[in-house]
Amino acid sequence: MPPKTAETFELFRQEIDESNDRRERLIKASRDVTNISKKAIFLLHRIILEDTDDDRGRRAAVKGRSKLDEARPYFAAMRLELVGDRFWRHQRQVSPAVQEYIEALSFAHYLEHGSIIPFNDTQAAFSDADGLYFPLTVSDYLLGLSDLTGELMRFAISNISRRGGSTTANDICRLVRDCKAGQFPHFEQFIPHIRDLGKKQSVTSSSLEKIEAAAYAVMVRGSEFDLPPEILEDLIQQTTVRFDIGRRDDSLYNNGS
Amino acid sequence: MDTANIDVLNTLLDKDIGVSEKIREQVKELDKKVRTIVGILGKIHSTPSNSMGPLLDSVEPVLYSCREILSAIASAVPPDQFWRWKEMWSNDIRSLVFAAALIEFLKNGGLLSVSQTSETLGIQEEWKDRFVLSVEDYLHGLIGMVNELSRYAVNSVTLGDFQEPMKISTFVKDIFSGFTMLNLKNDSLRRRFDSLKYDLKKIEEVVYDVSLRKLVES
Repeated sequence: MPPKTAETFELFRQEIDESNDRRERLIKASRDVTNISKKAIFLLHRIILEDTDDDRGRRAAVKGRSKLDEARPYFAAMRLELVGDRFWRHQRQVSPAVQEYIEALSFAHYLEHGSIIPFNDTQAAFSDADGLYFPLTVSDYLLGLSDLTGELMRFAISNISRRGGSTTANDICRLVRDCKAGQFPHFEQFIPHIRDLGKKQSVTSSSLEKIEAAAYAVMVRGSEFDLPPEILEDLIQQTTVRFDIGRRDDSLYNNGS
Repeated sequence: MDTANIDVLNTLLDKDIGVSEKIREQVKELDKKVRTIVGILGKIHSTPSNSMGPLLDSVEPVLYSCREILSAIASAVPPDQFWRWKEMWSNDIRSLVFAAALIEFLKNGGLLSVSQTSETLGIQEEWKDRFVLSVEDYLHGLIGMVNELSRYAVNSVTLGDFQEPMKISTFVKDIFSGFTMLNLKNDSLRRRFDSLKYDLKKIEEVVYDVSLRKLVES
């Protein structure tokens, strides 16, 4: 090989290696952030179901957000790798982490405020004293929110037997419907411009159907009892609490004696 | 979702759509030029070496006319967003690298470097954060050229030029050993590199055939 060609390819090798190594580091960091975000989501689900008082949403959000803060050092490290034109070079490696983080963040926001977190607030949560960690794309924001609907569905269903559960389920239905296609279509209108959004929106549709089915079941079965909704809820809750702590058998014995 | 938030998103998306439309318009023009260039270069297989010069000279003006389009693309790309949009024109740019490198080899027998290629295509240093010739695209272009040269080696013999396969063989082996220095990840470049050995083999067979029959002095 003439020395000139060898020299040129040596430079290529350095550049390719450098870029591949950076890519690997970003994938690892991205995986760690995804992991933390998933844990934060589980944490939110756990705390919100611990109690039924009005303050539970705020409490859950505070704890969830403090769990999410563990992702900050990773984002700060990623920022150094994503300076200038490198962000778009490696956007695909970091975007899964960003989406998962937004999913957790928006879930905490929903539990506290009962609404969808706006883009600007998401950007604010995605920054430290030095500003944004790296550019937050509209695409990652919308895809993260699409995943949120799955969490809302889970929450609506596990919460449905609790006090106010069917009201919450109905609120969630309304919110998810509104996101999908409100007065003027929201998510649907973005589908042509955002890769993968269509796929995620079909998952959203099936989540929505599940919430609707649960709300329907509560309504239909509730109608069999001629009781005001609050009393009915108390009844349901008492029953499920007994189930929860495994006293079902005891109570049977007590009744029998 | 409230309307203020929707407005924020729409403004951002509209900006992106504007950029992509502007680029798409230019890429459409570039596609046409590339087809013309590749079309003319296809004639090398039936052109005897003494009329190769004029054929190549007829490609160059078309090649140079791409500079204007690349410049328009560069000005449409927002700062630091080269990697976001480059997929839109990477096929074209690879074909342009292919053309420029092939012309250089056929004219002077050497390898066109990245910086020479950038120069030929009129890619400016000051476009750095908006438009560059990436190593990946350059290497794709070179592989395209090797694919073409393996065919050309066969056809040059048919046209009675027995010296050409020798030149091609040395040149392609040189490029091949360059590629073996790289640690490629499992992507399209890697797959195309893996197929280079068949081109190499084909060229070697031609060299073997003409040497065996003493059509060239070894």
